Amino acid sequence: MNITPEALFEARRDFLKLGAGALVSSTAIAQLLADTPLDMSLTYTPDPNPLKLSPNTFEQITNYVNFYEFSTDKTAPVKLSQKMKTDPWSVGFFGEMKTEQMLKVDELIAKFGLEERIYRFRCVEGWSMVVPWIGFPLYKLLDYLEPNSKAKYVKFTTRHDPSLFPDQSKGIFASIPHPYVEGLRMDEARNPLTFIAVGMYGKRLLPQNGAPIRLVVPWKYGFKSIKSLDLIECVESEPLNTWQAIDAKEYGFYANVNPAVDHPRWTQSKERLLGKLTKQATLPFNGYEKEVAGLYAGMDLRKFI
Amino acid sequence: MKALLVILALLPLGFAYFKLESAIDPIKMLYNITGVGAITLLLFSLVPSTCKRICSINFLRYRKTIGLLSFAYALLHVSVFIVLDSEFDFVTIFEKSLKKPFIYIGAIAFIILLFMALTSFKKLFAKFSKYHKAVYLALALALLHSFWAQKVAGVFEYSVVAVGVGLLGERVWAWKALHVKTF
Repeated sequence: MNITPEALFEARRDFLKLGAGALVSSTAIAQLLADTPLDMSLTYTPDPNPLKLSPNTFEQITNYVNFYEFSTDKTAPVKLSQKMKTDPWSVGFFGEMKTEQMLKVDELIAKFGLEERIYRFRCVEGWSMVVPWIGFPLYKLLDYLEPNSKAKYVKFTTRHDPSLFPDQSKGIFASIPHPYVEGLRMDEARNPLTFIAVGMYGKRLLPQNGAPIRLVVPWKYGFKSIKSLDLIECVESEPLNTWQAIDAKEYGFYANVNPAVDHPRWTQSKERLLGKLTKQATLPFNGYEKEVAGLYAGMDLRKFI
Repeated sequence: MKALLVILALLPLGFAYFKLESAIDPIKMLYNITGVGAITLLLFSLVPSTCKRICSINFLRYRKTIGLLSFAYALLHVSVFIVLDSEFDFVTIFEKSLKKPFIYIGAIAFIILLFMALTSFKKLFAKFSKYHKAVYLALALALLHSFWAQKVAGVFEYSVVAVGVGLLGERVWAWKALHVKTF
């Protein structure tokens, strides 16, 4: 692969505009490069990928999404989101913690560094993919925020801004109640697998994938992995997540991937890996049983869906 | 003319064939194309009789072809379910899938279409045509199945409801005009 990164490509065009033949001072070039738009590429520690997962293509991952803030269609959000402004973007950290504050995405990246995590991703609808996310584990952020003893859950909220998300301005005709809310128990949030992603495939997240910053919880159904985060709050009681609020019989708070427990309307025992015409078995906790099953010891997973 | 109709109605299948290789979620794509095809054609099969009453154009002779095309799509839809989605795992189909309202409502709709397709030829049609009113039930069930197939219903489902209600409303109105005497 030898593709010029978009930002560099743009920079090169800007440079050429100056006239390649003209005498250009090096300071002018430096100035010009400094003014180029947000660099989309990221520096990160690669995932050694011990499970030898083979990621879906960039094209598949960026063209098949559930992002109801734009549309309930799988591909429509791609076009609808291209003008979405995701920089600058601050996330608010509030609730039961030492110091409530707002931080820019770039400040978070500088604080916690970036690593790659190649994770399976299983949607409750029955399809799945493998995604090379880039970001940092949520526990690093929580260590920094220092939740107090009342903090039993972490609540996540998508930004509510109808100028970014058309569905949020539709009132009673919106496809889902806005803003989208998700939650994790504190021990789930602190599990080393729980991840905050800012990029994918070496680049910053594209808008349709939940730019500029989103949650990734690989052992839970995809709807838990909330996009375009606005708020992260430490709270005392269990947050009512959006899909549970829509239909608690079909979608619970836990939403752990579980081939043994059917969705009321369809079975969950198999999944359609994107790009494949044959199906594959769904694994308990999406293949992360060893790492997370202990979190649910003694709980009836038929009841706590 | 009928051949043209068949070719036109089967075009989406050609599209599906060429798209299959590059489709991101191929099984879902086949479900969508065959499902939307079956429901759309079923809706179209209700149009000739409306047209005959309203605009006095009679193309009732195409009704059977449209209905059979709808059945062909439904048959493909069921084949996707059995072959690709369930991979011939009949234990799962009977023990799990068919117990879910979403699936058995769709299955009932298909059985109605199967019955209508089998009794659509001359001799049998004379005997069974009166039962072909079940098409309304099939359409309603297929639509319910379509609503249940996704987390949130989309434009297609609501459009079919709108057109369906329009066609049915006209029928009720026409029936009333014939049977209810106004003084």
